[in-house]
Amino acid sequence: MSMMTGQQYEESLRRLNLVVYMFGKRIENVVDDPIIRPSMNAVAKTYELAHRPEHEDIMTATSHITGKKVNRFTHIHQSIEDLVKKSKMGRLLGRETGCCFQRCVGMDSLNALDMTTFDIDRKYGTEYHTRFVKYLEYVQDNDMTCCGAMTDTKGDRSLPPHKQADPDMFMHVVEEKQDGVIVRGAKAHQTGAVNSHEIIVMPTITLREPDKDYAISFALPSDTKGITYIIGRQSCDTRKLENGTMDRGNLFFGGHEALVIFDNVFVPWDRVFMFKEYDFSRQLVEQFAAYHRQSYACKVGVGDVLIGAAQTAAEYNGVEKASHIKDKVVEMNHLNETLYCGAIACASEGHKEPSGTYYVNTLLANVHKQNVTRFPYEMARLAQDIAGGLLATLPSEKDFKSDTVGKWMDKYYKGRADIPTEYRMRILRLIENLTLGTAATNYLTESMHGAGSPQAQRIMISRRVNMQEKQRAAKRLCGIE
Amino acid sequence: MASNSNADMTVKVGLKYCGGCNPEYDRVALVKHIQDSLQGKVEFVKPESEGVRLILAVEGCSTACADLSAFQGMEIRVITNIEEGERFIKEIRKELKIFAD
Repeated sequence: MSMMTGQQYEESLRRLNLVVYMFGKRIENVVDDPIIRPSMNAVAKTYELAHRPEHEDIMTATSHITGKKVNRFTHIHQSIEDLVKKSKMGRLLGRETGCCFQRCVGMDSLNALDMTTFDIDRKYGTEYHTRFVKYLEYVQDNDMTCCGAMTDTKGDRSLPPHKQADPDMFMHVVEEKQDGVIVRGAKAHQTGAVNSHEIIVMPTITLREPDKDYAISFALPSDTKGITYIIGRQSCDTRKLENGTMDRGNLFFGGHEALVIFDNVFVPWDRVFMFKEYDFSRQLVEQFAAYHRQSYACKVGVGDVLIGAAQTAAEYNGVEKASHIKDKVVEMNHLNETLYCGAIACASEGHKEPSGTYYVNTLLANVHKQNVTRFPYEMARLAQDIAGGLLATLPSEKDFKSDTVGKWMDKYYKGRADIPTEYRMRILRLIENLTLGTAATNYLTESMHGAGSPQAQRIMISRRVNMQEKQRAAKRLCGIE
Repeated sequence: MASNSNADMTVKVGLKYCGGCNPEYDRVALVKHIQDSLQGKVEFVKPESEGVRLILAVEGCSTACADLSAFQGMEIRVITNIEEGERFIKEIRKELKIFAD
């Protein structure tokens, strides 16, 4: 199969038999569910843009396995240029959708596993990399969306997996069989889980010898028997159930996260990419995390949308020429482009690993993500400042269209005379969506905790900074031997 | 552009865009404008098509990162902004007029 179109992707999801729950009920038609569908639209965009001449240079790549043209989301980075294009792809899609488009986590899992399986095989003579490359070819040939599943539910954070009161707080092997293993556990916050064809599981923390049964990585079809998805709530999510679309802010796109439960699920050996090699758990976690921290280039694209919305709101309010408004817009751009600097820098300073895979500069990727935990919040604050309080007090679309009170809204919520009141409402709803509503889940809280919470990056920054060289430079200049 | 003995012949131009991560203008709209301005004289086709006389690389900004490695040895014109697009129109018009003379 060649690269799928957006339509073919949607049809492929309809063929899945996922077990999905939301609001306590099984969702039989996942694709058309009004709350989930905007997230499917966002993933579909990753397929659609790959077919557009004006985007294919970023959205596609040449497979190093088959030489075929593939969607970049299934590609293993073969050069610095590939890494840079990955960052650029994030910005492009963030701006196109104004939300999380969910597919980066699978790409990052594939690239991390390509490196780690290669290194495990070199040390232990195992066959994980051969298995993995075969699996990768399958993913590329079928243009699949993969859900990268790392975050265990973790239970008592002060205890390692084997000391938890409930052993299922971390994904683990409960039975070894001749043809595979049985696993149990759950992965939390799984972005795009029900829009995925495959789910790729990795350990969530560095593991020690007593936790070797938890050192498991594998991939399964997303509708494998025993896997259940519970969709996470988002602020304002049920607005998607209302008649009318204006109050959603973003009419087309959204993201979703789910708790994914593996209840005694069978994994055949040919889908196992790590088992018991606990000494490689840290490498896999760190490599996935570094790639995924780079992936937060997407927030620059969403930031583009927020800046555009804030400027438009200022113009509709007639305040765009006020010096403090101009300065706030400049500040938003400064913050956004600073984020972009990090996303490009960690890619440009990448290097080639023994597997041949190109890997980002981990110090810069962590610095980039650390900035992402902060700057979108400040940008959201500035956007709300510029937009004004109406952002949070605006009555509904139903009131605006009401025969009785609609005329009052139209009259009293008018800004500039030449701008329809409805336009002003729409742009405010978009800012609300990004900073308070469904998209804030991804633009703000995901920016904070996705790909690791801020402290995780600070630990990595402290590990990667070469303090000795900095001290040597300082001492040399002031005459210390 | 290589010489064209028939002024009425449509010149096939291979169109290659950059990926458009953060373009400074609407690249697709500019290409449409170029196409309209050179209607009947220039046909934009996929860059790998048969009979392509030159490649037009439409870059969203001055970084100009479109991968042009597949077109080595071919004549490549690069535009990175609207002004360069207008210049391309003028150049092509001039070159086609020269051929017509």
